[in-house]
Amino acid sequence: MSNGLKLGCAALALLLCSLLSLAVGATWIPLSQVAAAFVHPDASSISHVLVTSTRLSRTLMAIAVGASLAVAGALMQALTRNPLASPGLFGINAGASFFIILFSSVFSLSSADAWLWCAFIGAAVAGCLVWLIGNMGQGSLNPLRIVLAGAAIAALFSAFSQALLVVNQDGLDTVLFWLAGSLSERSLSVAAPLLVCSLFALLGTLLLAGQLNVLNAGEEIATGLGQRTGLIRIAMSVLIVCLAGSAVALAGSIGFVGLLVPHMVRKGLSIDHRWLLPGCALTGAVLLLLADTLARVVMLPQEVPVGVMTALFGAPFFIILARRGGRHG
Amino acid sequence: MDKLMTVRCGGFSRRINLSTLLRLVLALALTLLVILCSLSLGKVNLSPLAVLRILFSSADPSLTFIVEQLRFPRIFLAALVGAALSVSGLILQSIIRNPLASPDLLGITSGASAAAVLYLSFFSVALGQQFLPVAAMLGAGLATLAIYLLAWKQGASPLRLVLIGVGVSAMLTACTTFILVFSPLTTTLSAYVWLTGSVYGASWPEPLALGGWLLGICPLLVLLARQVMVQQLDDSLAQGIGVRVQWLRAGLLLVSVALAGAAIAWGGAIAFVGLIAPHIAKRLIGPGFGGQAAMAALIGATLVMLADLAGRTLFLPLDLPAGIFVAVLGTPFFLYLLIKQRH
Amino acid sequence: MKSEIRHQPSRRTLLRLSLGLLAFRLCTPAWAQPGAAPLRVITLFQGATDSAVALGVTPCGIVDSWSEKPTYRYLRTALEHVPHVGLETQPSLEDIVLLKPDVIIASRFRHQRIAPLLKQIAPVVMLDEVFEFKETLLQMGVALHRQQMAVALLEQWQRRVAQLRAQLQRTFAGHWPPTVAVLEIREDHVRSHLPASFAGSVLNELGFSWNVASQAASGASLKITSKESLPVVNADIFFVFMRADSQAVQQNYDSLLRHPLWQQMRAPQRQQVWQVDGVPWSMSGGIMGANLMLDDIARLAAADSIS
Repeated sequence: MSNGLKLGCAALALLLCSLLSLAVGATWIPLSQVAAAFVHPDASSISHVLVTSTRLSRTLMAIAVGASLAVAGALMQALTRNPLASPGLFGINAGASFFIILFSSVFSLSSADAWLWCAFIGAAVAGCLVWLIGNMGQGSLNPLRIVLAGAAIAALFSAFSQALLVVNQDGLDTVLFWLAGSLSERSLSVAAPLLVCSLFALLGTLLLAGQLNVLNAGEEIATGLGQRTGLIRIAMSVLIVCLAGSAVALAGSIGFVGLLVPHMVRKGLSIDHRWLLPGCALTGAVLLLLADTLARVVMLPQEVPVGVMTALFGAPFFIILARRGGRHG
Repeated sequence: MDKLMTVRCGGFSRRINLSTLLRLVLALALTLLVILCSLSLGKVNLSPLAVLRILFSSADPSLTFIVEQLRFPRIFLAALVGAALSVSGLILQSIIRNPLASPDLLGITSGASAAAVLYLSFFSVALGQQFLPVAAMLGAGLATLAIYLLAWKQGASPLRLVLIGVGVSAMLTACTTFILVFSPLTTTLSAYVWLTGSVYGASWPEPLALGGWLLGICPLLVLLARQVMVQQLDDSLAQGIGVRVQWLRAGLLLVSVALAGAAIAWGGAIAFVGLIAPHIAKRLIGPGFGGQAAMAALIGATLVMLADLAGRTLFLPLDLPAGIFVAVLGTPFFLYLLIKQRH
Repeated sequence: MKSEIRHQPSRRTLLRLSLGLLAFRLCTPAWAQPGAAPLRVITLFQGATDSAVALGVTPCGIVDSWSEKPTYRYLRTALEHVPHVGLETQPSLEDIVLLKPDVIIASRFRHQRIAPLLKQIAPVVMLDEVFEFKETLLQMGVALHRQQMAVALLEQWQRRVAQLRAQLQRTFAGHWPPTVAVLEIREDHVRSHLPASFAGSVLNELGFSWNVASQAASGASLKITSKESLPVVNADIFFVFMRADSQAVQQNYDSLLRHPLWQQMRAPQRQQVWQVDGVPWSMSGGIMGANLMLDDIARLAAADSIS
């Protein structure tokens, strides 16, 4: 099967999963109604309203967040030349949570807009911090060092978050659900700026894909071929922060998508970034849609946080990966 | 050249480096000073002399109660927790051969946390709080066992241990979050304080129990201590000189988990002590596991005691968990370490 | 126990009183003669503070409230100069010792860990839960030598409940008992308080019933994070309160009111959505708070009987 055909299949899977996500929920809405909601919307029908408001925003966000996380993961793995890099393991989630808690308890910002931007800034700060520390100092980028540094920064930020939550106990419950990763209750109007940002960042990565292949070949080869590696690296970092930051701001702490999807796509599709990045975007979106759909119905009427779902399913995969890859340890 | 001193006692003789000994004595003096300060400060600030008078003769009953029953057990517990965590971190850093390893990173903390939160949410109503340390230790032990077994592939290499540790930690943290989200809010609050690491409300049975457990682990530690330095060599080199590498690694991991698990069980999930204290110790004392372990224990104890003092006194009448201030004290140093690290 | 309807209040009260005395004897030593100088009491949870004020005793130390810090508005004048000993979850033991209390009222639910230390400071009355306001009142009545006042307050409560129940039965004649839902609006979700909660127990006493989902659920509250799950709380009457005075909570409530799933539930359609004060309904846990709840419900009965 050629790569183009595989991408086509992935796109089809995405479409089917979106339809599934629109149909599944506390009540099952048959697909005919779903179609009717878009073609002949009827304002008085509850199902139509549900489909076009709550479920549509959820589905769109799951697609955007899933794609952003997966592509950010692929970029990170290329940037650090470390197959175990992912946005979550780099402290971005913890940084975003910390900023949200900081701003909502110390400065009493509690509107949904404010939270979104706080999270984005926090993610950016954490990402920059880890990147700076990883690049500063003597020695090359050692895989173990990056993982440990990122995990330690994440532990640091989450320690600070816990501190603030212990003092301001009133905010604990509200923030807790967000911290665990949740796609619920974001109106499209509020989320729109970040969705647009994600979209532009995704397009940006596609433009950069060719350069990534060159970078991956090695430092000397890349410079020898005339590539300005420094500039490319900075561009990649900016894109990673935009993608991962907006994902975290929209949906909280969702782990493992950015780690595993690039591996799956590399095995199934190609290591050529021009195919890898679109493949990651599509697969990431599909996975998160499935996880969210499952999270919605597993414990009705309550909802399992999506982040918990992806961790529970993603961690075993990660462990299998670590076992397979550690041959040189 | 270092001055060495030989101690002979019957058939046992040991060489002790004098400068190491001097530094250890100084560190011990510092620790005792911190203990005295912690006993003096709080809601009621007493002078050190008054504290000594209270401890060794009788005085006003309220003040005696405050010093002997409220502050002393708490400080003692903080010291033991700090010491255990730092020695555990020291051992782990030599097993993993990376100076950035710590109990937090290897699933010990997250295993204990998941078990503790599970216990607090479902069993504490029926069984009471006294079995919380047992639950936490079981959790830490099981998590580490799982990590070790999963990392085993004709031997457990350090890289695999860390990576799988990170993966298992993430899964356990997800479980912890899951339980927290679905437990009644009131349990969530006490669980959150536990997760941050706090010695609030400690009474004498607690440090005594922890002390007993640590004394029990000591023989094993002493037995393995001589071979810890060999651990740091490459596996094949170590095997070449006759060390049974896998057994040694398993034994050291067991000791490390026992120490950290016990500390977390009684003190909550205090992060960073196991990471920072060994580093400070290594900079102050030359190579030699015995000296480094003793120094690490003293530094760790001082660190947690100072953090608890800060939490108790800086924001009166609030009593903030010690874990917060360990992180606050630890960050600048940790960043400095990361930047300076040569690898 | 909560679903039983109180047919014979006086016998039950006597039973509880004797149980309270027994429990009191078991956990405290023999007491000083009644009628001695006013006791210095420290209350370590909201329900105890509320009960102390109801019994006419000013505690010598109290803990911070959950909201409207540091003391709830309805208790502020009574507790104006009382020092605080920290948070309900982590009271400052040194402050407690320095206040030299005669008795400490604590809860096993919150203060189990520090119970041995508290017992060394002063005799402790250890209540099992924080929201069982009658139990709290009775045990505190015994501890503070105000047994008669406690019994009188409870009898007054029973009379009020009976009176209000009769009034409600007249108002809702024909479709008694109506189903209720107690909804707490937070920044990003809605919490439904179930029959086992504080508010739920009072509503049960008044004779209200609950929908099938609420009866089947366990625990004290249910978290409704997605608007799609709103039909779970469908009932004839809604009692709604905001978690905090913030903009985010208000925005969430407004978006809820606009949602068609809300608008098609029974209570909004019959104009039976009543906004009440969150403090007495979920955070006080004491007899005074319960009485304030009855005030809110009396408002409903009066307004409905007019219309």
